[in-house]
Amino acid sequence: MGREKHHVIRWVTSLFCMVIFGLAWLVRNLWLATGGAVGLCYVLWRIAHASRGSPEEATAANARVPRTAPRRSPPATVSLPQRPAISRKPVDPGDTDALVGRMLAQERFALLLRPKIAVNLSGAHLRRAQEALEQNMALVPDGEVVLGRIDEALQDGKLNEEEIAAAAGRLIQVERFFLDRFPVTNQQFYEFVADGGYEQMALWDESIWPAVLDLIDSTGMPGPRYWRNGCFRPEEKDHPVVGVSWYEASAYARWVGKRMPTDAEWVKAGSWPVPLSATTRLQRRYPWGDTMDRKRANLWNPGRPRSMPVNHYAEGVSVGGVYQLIGNVWEWTSGNFRPGDHFAGKLELPTPMKTIRGGAFDTYFDNQATCQFQSGENPLGRRHNIGFRCAVGVCDLVLTRQPSGVDERAEGARGGADPGADDPGAAGAAAAEPVPVAEEVRA
Amino acid sequence: MTKSVIQPLESYRLAQYAVPIPCYICDTDNTFDAEFCTHCLAPMALAHQASFQKTRPQMIAVVGAADAGKTVYLGMLIDMLSRQLDRMQLLARGAFSITLQQTTLSALARCEFPPKTPNEPDRWNWVHCQVRRPHLRQVMELIMPDMAGEALLEEVDHPHTFRVIRSFLEKCTGALILIDTVKLQEGMPEQDFFTMKLLTTLSELAKDPKHGWSKRPVALILSKADQCDDCREDPGGYAKAHAVGVWQYCQERFHCHKFFAAGVAGACAWRESLSEGRVQVPLRIEPHGIVEPFEWLLDKLGAKWEKG
Repeated sequence: MGREKHHVIRWVTSLFCMVIFGLAWLVRNLWLATGGAVGLCYVLWRIAHASRGSPEEATAANARVPRTAPRRSPPATVSLPQRPAISRKPVDPGDTDALVGRMLAQERFALLLRPKIAVNLSGAHLRRAQEALEQNMALVPDGEVVLGRIDEALQDGKLNEEEIAAAAGRLIQVERFFLDRFPVTNQQFYEFVADGGYEQMALWDESIWPAVLDLIDSTGMPGPRYWRNGCFRPEEKDHPVVGVSWYEASAYARWVGKRMPTDAEWVKAGSWPVPLSATTRLQRRYPWGDTMDRKRANLWNPGRPRSMPVNHYAEGVSVGGVYQLIGNVWEWTSGNFRPGDHFAGKLELPTPMKTIRGGAFDTYFDNQATCQFQSGENPLGRRHNIGFRCAVGVCDLVLTRQPSGVDERAEGARGGADPGADDPGAAGAAAAEPVPVAEEVRA
Repeated sequence: MTKSVIQPLESYRLAQYAVPIPCYICDTDNTFDAEFCTHCLAPMALAHQASFQKTRPQMIAVVGAADAGKTVYLGMLIDMLSRQLDRMQLLARGAFSITLQQTTLSALARCEFPPKTPNEPDRWNWVHCQVRRPHLRQVMELIMPDMAGEALLEEVDHPHTFRVIRSFLEKCTGALILIDTVKLQEGMPEQDFFTMKLLTTLSELAKDPKHGWSKRPVALILSKADQCDDCREDPGGYAKAHAVGVWQYCQERFHCHKFFAAGVAGACAWRESLSEGRVQVPLRIEPHGIVEPFEWLLDKLGAKWEKG
C-alpha cells in the first residue's frame, strides 16, 4: 500500500470524525461528541506524525545512513604483465623454441639473458627475453645513495668534502640494475615449487641443506608456510608470497636467474636520490614524496589488516616504476641486519638477522614504513608479512638494445599524484642512463 | 610575636568540606579537593567523573606478572580503539586517561618499550573511558588502571600491602590476565605460578557463586606471541602444553574464560643501557590480537548487562 493511499485514508477518517462530532454536538449527545473528538485528535496526531516520518521509516533511513566512518575508496590498480599459460608437459631438451617459451612463461627471462645461456640463443629469443625483462623489471640508474637517517646538513649542502668522506660508511655507490616492478606473487612462486625448486639443491646455500626438508607448508608439502597441499589459496594468486624464509627467497631468485637486492639498491629504487651538487642530494622519504599518504600504501588500518594483490596501490609507484615498495609486505634484502640510526646504542641480536624493508600491511607507524627504515628477521623465519622481490645487475645480462628507463604505466599511475612529489629531472636521468649493449657486455 | 589577620569566612568552602566524597575504588570518604584517596591512593578524579554520569563505570583489571606487557597492551589497545571507528570506539575521559596512550605510543614509535610502571599507586596511569559499539548501540563506561607487576605480586603474596589493588579487584567485572609467552617458551615456570596465584587470589576475593569471579569473564592473553608462531596459531593448545597449571585451574574455577595470543613487536633485540641495564628493544611495531580479547570480554559483559 502506497504512502499516498495512507494519507487519503487518514484524511477521510478525520472528516468522518468531524461529522460525528458535529452531529453529536447538534443532538447534544455528550458520549458521541467525546468519541468523535478523541477519534479526530488521534487521526490528526497520526497525520502530523506521518509528515515528520514514521518510526519505521526513520529506522529504515538510519539503516541506510552508514553509522561508521566512510570507507576508503578502493586503491588504484595497475594491470599486471601478460603471462602466457604454462604447459606442464615435459619439454624436449633439443627443442630450443619450446624450452625458451617455457622459461619465458615461468618468468625466467633473466636466466635466458645471462651471458653463458645467451650465446646459445637466437636474436629473436633474446629480443623476446628482453621484452619480458623490460615489462617485468624497472631500471634503476647508478649513483650514490645514503643509507640510514639522512643528515640535514648533508641534504642542505652544509658539509664539506672531508665531512662527506667521514660519512662515507653510509654513502654507497650503486651500479645500475633492474628491480622487479612487483613483489613475487604466489603464482610466480608456485612455478618454482612445481618445477621442483625445493629438490634442486644447487639452488640452495650449502649451509642450509639440512634445513630444506623442514621448509614445508601447513600440510607437510614443500612450499611456503601458509600454503596447503603445496598450493596457495586461489583468491590469493596475485598476492605477494609470504611465509618464505630468506633462503627460500634466495633459491627462487637463483632459479629465475636473478638475485636479492642489496640494501643500497632497495633504498635507491625507492628514495630515488638526486645529486643536486657535489655536496647536496635529495632523497625521498617515500617513493612518491616526503609525506605519508595511506592511499598509496597498504599499511595498518582499523579494519582487519591483510595483504592485497601486488597490482593494487598503483599510486604508490616509485619514479622508476616499482610498485609497493612501501607497505603490503616487508621485503627481504641480501644484507645482514646492522641496526643503524633508528636504534639508539649497540644492539645485541638474539640470532644473526637479515634486513627487511618497506613495512607491511600490519605496520603501525608511518616512520617505520619509510625507504630508510630497516628491521631485521631471522633468515629462517617464515613470517606472515614478509615477502620479497628480485634484482639483477645490468652488467650481468646480455642486452640487445637499450632498455627504456621509466615505465609508461608508472607515469600513468602517478598522473594524479601531487606535482611536488615527483622529480622530472630524476626520471629524465633514468631514461638517459646509457645501458651497455650486448657487444659491450661481452667485451 | 603573633600577628592577627582577618581571614574571610568562605562558607561555601566549609560546606564543600562538610560533604565527604567517597573514593570510587575503596569507598573511603575524602574531602572534595583531595587529588588521591587518603586510604588507597586511587585518583579522586574517578569519583568526580563518575558522579556526573548516568551509568556507573565498570572496572576491568589488566593484570599479570612484571614485564608481561601490561602497559604496552593497554596503551596499544586504547590507541587502536580510538582509531577504530566501525567495530568499537573509545573516547578517553579526562586528560589523565590519555597519558598512558601518549607514553606508550611515543616510546613504540621510537622503537623502544615504555618505562616500567612505578610501584607507587599514585603514579599509576588510570584509564577512564567510554566505549561505544555502533552495531550493538551499547555505551559502556570503563575504568582500567595500569598497575605495576611488582605491586601485584606483593599484594598477592602479602595481602593488604596495596589496599587499592584488593579493593579494585573485588569490584572488577572482568579481567585481562597477561602471561609472558617468551618466558613460557623458555621453560621458566614463574609465569605459570604467578598467574595461578593471581587466579587463586581472584577466586578468594569474591566467592559468591552467582556474581563471584567464577562467573566473571576472564581473558587470558599470551603476550609477546609474535615471537612464538605455535602460540599465535593456537593459544588454547599452547597454554595447555606450556602453562598446564593455569589451564587446569581455569577449567576448574573459571566458567567464563578464554585464551588469546597477542603481540606488538614483530621482532626484538637487546640493548645495554647504563641507567636501566639490559633492556629489550622492538625492531618494528606490528600489533596483532590486541582488540580481540577486549572485544570478547565486552561481549560477555554486555550479555550480563543486558540480562541484568
